[in-house]
Amino acid sequence: MLKEFTKGIIKENPIFIILLGLCPALAVSTQVVNALGMGAGVIFVLLGSNIFVSLLKDFIPEKIRIPSYIVIIASFVTIVDLVMQAYAPALSRNLGVFVQLIVVNCIILGRAEAFANKNDLSRSVLDALGMGIGFTLGLLLISLIREVLGAGTITLFPIGAFNGVIRIPVLYSAPARVIGLATGALLVMGYLKALLNWFDQRKKV
Amino acid sequence: MNSIFVSGGKLFLICVVAALTLGIINAITEPVIAERKVLELNMALNSLTGELQAAEGVIVGEESVVRAYYPVLRAGKVDSFILELNGSGYGGDMKMLSRYKLNGEIISAKLMDNLETPGLGKKAENPEYMKKFIGSGSSNPVPVLKSMLEQSEAEAITGATITFIGVAKALDEGSRFITEGRLAKVKE
Repeated sequence: MLKEFTKGIIKENPIFIILLGLCPALAVSTQVVNALGMGAGVIFVLLGSNIFVSLLKDFIPEKIRIPSYIVIIASFVTIVDLVMQAYAPALSRNLGVFVQLIVVNCIILGRAEAFANKNDLSRSVLDALGMGIGFTLGLLLISLIREVLGAGTITLFPIGAFNGVIRIPVLYSAPARVIGLATGALLVMGYLKALLNWFDQRKKV
Repeated sequence: MNSIFVSGGKLFLICVVAALTLGIINAITEPVIAERKVLELNMALNSLTGELQAAEGVIVGEESVVRAYYPVLRAGKVDSFILELNGSGYGGDMKMLSRYKLNGEIISAKLMDNLETPGLGKKAENPEYMKKFIGSGSSNPVPVLKSMLEQSEAEAITGATITFIGVAKALDEGSRFITEGRLAKVKE
């Protein structure tokens, strides 16, 4: 049972192993705070959609399952979007269009189709949490590398007197800007995947 | 045949429940969002006027680059104008507020609602971004091309040139709105 939770974090990590949801992942991973916000949004939507898809799996006929899943997912995304706009306006401004684009994030439809419609509620919840956390961790790793190298900062939430931005001494004055651009996103992702594959192969040998 | 109606009916039912839920959520969040927008606008106006006060806004139009203007008063006289501008960026419309002297020179500017790419075009929200425009508009032209910027400034906007051009063109249009006396026409 616990396996359903842990598998999403490392063994079947959505970003590095299943390679799903890459397009929003690469797009928002310019700042650490975006990765956290996007991760929270994805966990919430994934949890909601997995719960409802699992509950309704006997109610939804085979033929119309995809449109039904999309309606469920889109509803949760709209809820996230509205709540963020109302109560976390800064985050909503930062993530911009990518909140709405959670709808087409392949992980969510992928988990509904591959897992939630075949498993009971508790397993689906664990699967959603594991996959969501795995996605968030992957996103955090990419954004940390990209922000530190590409901008020389680490942006977190502003708390009290702390404005939320940590500046890294040498890198801040001369950042490798290309890492912060779209090219850098693909480069970082590619190198991380290569590194993981290398570890994987060494383990097998 | 029958299964089509059953499937269709079920899908319809799902949609109805979803729509109902969203309607309720919207009813709860809409006033909060509207209130926040007003607050945000007032805060932005205050940050641009400094110690002065902006007077009641005048709507110019829904289609033009200049959407509205707010006269800033000093001892009862108009000291400067804050314009609400609508530029076109990479991700769509960008709302801006910009304060001009009466000769069209930019005093300060602020990017408000926009859909620019996080980490690239979004950087235009930083107060430092607008520094390159301040002081331009009357004797100095507003830099609307990358080649009109200094080397380091041009490098800083790499990857977000379309955002830069959108911001610059709107600011330039705002400046001309003031110098060409279109303000008076609106008043009449």
